[in-house]
Amino acid sequence: MSEISQPAPMSRREWLMSDRPQSRLQARLGRAYMTWRRFSANRLAVAGLGIILLLILVAVFADALAPHSPVVGNLAGARLLPPGSEGYLLGTDDQGRDILSRLLHGSRLTLLVIVLVAIIAAPIGLLVGAVSGYAGGWVDAVLMRITDIFFAFPKLVLALAFVAAMGPGIQNAIIAIAITSWPPYARIARAETLTVRNSDYIAAVRLMGASPFRIVLRHVMPMCVSSLIVRVTLDMAGIILTAAGLGFLGLGAQPPLPEWGAMIAAGRRFILDQWWVATMPGIAILVVSLGFNLLGDGLRDALDPRESGK
Amino acid sequence: MMMHSLNKHARMLTAGAALSLLLMAGAPAFAETPADTLVEGWAIDDIITMDPGEAFELSTAEVTANTYSYLVRLDLNDTSKVVGDLAESWTVSDDGLTYTFKLKPGLKFASGNPVTAEDVAYSFERVVKLDKSPAFILTQFGLTGDNVTEKAKAADETTFVFTVDKAYAPSFVLNCLTATVGSVVDKKVVLEHVKAVTPSEEYKYDNDFGNEWLKTGYAGSGAFTMREWRANEVVVMERNDNYYGEKAPLARVIYRHMKESSGQRLALEAGDIDVARNLEPGDFDAVAKNGDLKTTSAPKGTLYYFSLNQKNQNLAKPEVAEAFKYLVDYDAIGSTLIKGIGEIHQTFLPKGVLGELDENPYKLDVAKAKELLAKAGLADGFSVTMDVRNTQPITGIAESIQQTLAQANIKMEIIPGDGKQTLTKYRARTHDIYIGQWGQDYFDPNSNAETFTVNPDNSDEGKVKTLAWRNAWDVPKEWTEQSKAALLEKDAAKRAEMYKDLQKKVLANSPFVIIFQQTEVAGYRGNLKGFKLGPSFDTNYVFNVSKE
Repeated sequence: MSEISQPAPMSRREWLMSDRPQSRLQARLGRAYMTWRRFSANRLAVAGLGIILLLILVAVFADALAPHSPVVGNLAGARLLPPGSEGYLLGTDDQGRDILSRLLHGSRLTLLVIVLVAIIAAPIGLLVGAVSGYAGGWVDAVLMRITDIFFAFPKLVLALAFVAAMGPGIQNAIIAIAITSWPPYARIARAETLTVRNSDYIAAVRLMGASPFRIVLRHVMPMCVSSLIVRVTLDMAGIILTAAGLGFLGLGAQPPLPEWGAMIAAGRRFILDQWWVATMPGIAILVVSLGFNLLGDGLRDALDPRESGK
Repeated sequence: MMMHSLNKHARMLTAGAALSLLLMAGAPAFAETPADTLVEGWAIDDIITMDPGEAFELSTAEVTANTYSYLVRLDLNDTSKVVGDLAESWTVSDDGLTYTFKLKPGLKFASGNPVTAEDVAYSFERVVKLDKSPAFILTQFGLTGDNVTEKAKAADETTFVFTVDKAYAPSFVLNCLTATVGSVVDKKVVLEHVKAVTPSEEYKYDNDFGNEWLKTGYAGSGAFTMREWRANEVVVMERNDNYYGEKAPLARVIYRHMKESSGQRLALEAGDIDVARNLEPGDFDAVAKNGDLKTTSAPKGTLYYFSLNQKNQNLAKPEVAEAFKYLVDYDAIGSTLIKGIGEIHQTFLPKGVLGELDENPYKLDVAKAKELLAKAGLADGFSVTMDVRNTQPITGIAESIQQTLAQANIKMEIIPGDGKQTLTKYRARTHDIYIGQWGQDYFDPNSNAETFTVNPDNSDEGKVKTLAWRNAWDVPKEWTEQSKAALLEKDAAKRAEMYKDLQKKVLANSPFVIIFQQTEVAGYRGNLKGFKLGPSFDTNYVFNVSKE
């Protein structure tokens, strides 16, 4: 009767927290779990995440949630009604349209702008930065000087110039914002690349005969991603504000699209007597921007590699 | 310890200072305007020049009208007539070609120089020779740089003779002379300031007729003198003590540049300005309800319309044009977006002009419009764009039209731009639909009749660039002829009938959808007396205004 000590069955939590993972999958899941624990410990960050999830839900179900059409109003019968009027929870605007319905549908535009800008700008920045940092020499010099040129202009002014040249509209606004928001990502990616390019594992990969292309794509870029995600999330608020700014100046989404910035611009004329027309979309922008800022803050703490494993 | 208490003290001091600053900023500023000065808040960003021979902008016209004299002025009691200003009397020769004006005796310019027929002739000469934007109002009578000294000349000290090339309706000739371009300038003063110019192909004369100096200078004889104009800031006018008519009660009138309606309203409520000129419906209502303030309004000769470019195949179909006239919610627009600042008006002659026709047959009728579209083979609708200037109420109306068009399956995309962009596109005939305003150039039915019904050459190279041309509308020949015949009709009543008939035709069959006629509004302090808006942009006189 030998006592064979059986390892006690691990709880799921212990399996995830194990410091001797048995497989790659376990290691990855473990890391993700740690990140999530750090993230969820931050109440504000969770609140931010909640706001963003709510935004996504609202955007998806806007058709079902909105009590009225966002573009067709009742000019003769329901113009500039105050909040709380019957059937119009947040009041109506100068075309007699329900502000609540417009806000709900406007969330789609906001989300569209954010997602497209992130999809366009982040990869460009990542690629430019990683290539620049890894290659060094004149490639680095050329790419970084181009980045510097973009940095030399205030973002909104540059976006304005692009939109003015390409013509107003939501697509052009997205392109303009994307074009003007990649340079910081390139800088971050380059900095991260510089810290890893001379490390042993890169040397090992190189010894094994990997091409520079493969090294950058498979071994350098992944190291830059986490700081990039944090930066992009923190920038989301700025992107929303830029998009709203362009809309406010009449260069973003065009009527009758319920873009929040354009709604504020339309409501500005009534600010003295009908405050709600401009205020409601302003609150919406504020809440969503705040949500992204909180989320970004939480992500920064959670994804910080120096914190990991603690 | 010492340090600590000092810090505390300093902190309290700073806090106190900051607090008092806040209080000072928050306290209402009781800035009353001086008793002998009228201050108007008005958007005057359109002023480019103060030279009456060159200016063709709305704001300048008002200043010119208050600071210069003409031969004849519009009769404010009956705008289909004119009254003498510098002219005491006038006669028209039997062949209808020669107009002889007799000046009032003892007239003086603000400079003290006497007003003579010589000055009148010189004023005509410089307008024609400079040939700036408003010159056509005079040159349409056959004046050219070569013959102007013959056709507009002084017979003696007080007699001015004006010869036209055709026997026009006298009302037309006289109405044109009430335009600001007919201002009489002080020849002596202007001659002191002329600048030498090297003659060239386009400009054959060796001097600029004082054009550069008059941009900011003044050489007139009106009830007020123009003392100063600073672009986008202020225009200052002062009482002219040499004025031959009744002297103005106020010593000074100041136009302050204020662009936004809400800003003007706040300044008016606080007493910083006496008159607010660019109030939008909401602010106008609020001013009307305020016991300290009063409001006034007057219909203007400016029409708001949209027009369909006939180069667009869909828009060129007559049924489509008619359908568009049924797809505007006139009632709703009239009771909301333009409430108080406009009146629904569908014919091309504004109220107050000879031959006006007060008929508004069109109403929002989607079923009827759909029927018409089906007849044109467009029952499923189509897509079209509209160039919209980024100002109210135009944007609001465009959005309303966008909604009503959608009910008939017409998908309209709004292309916004500033006034320059949309107008440039319009003038190049590259738009689909253009929405905008049209103000008559001079107070005569011909101004609008010409632009809406005359298009002699519909090619892109056409020289007569009327609104009909801009929309590539090939106007039926008889209509153009009728419009030209009305110009030569001497009997005012018959002339009016001809224009009425023409308006009915255009109303029924044209690419123009005229929506409303502008009503100019103003809010003013209760202590003002005699403040009135005139029937046109160049008849808003301030020389009767006084303060209690």
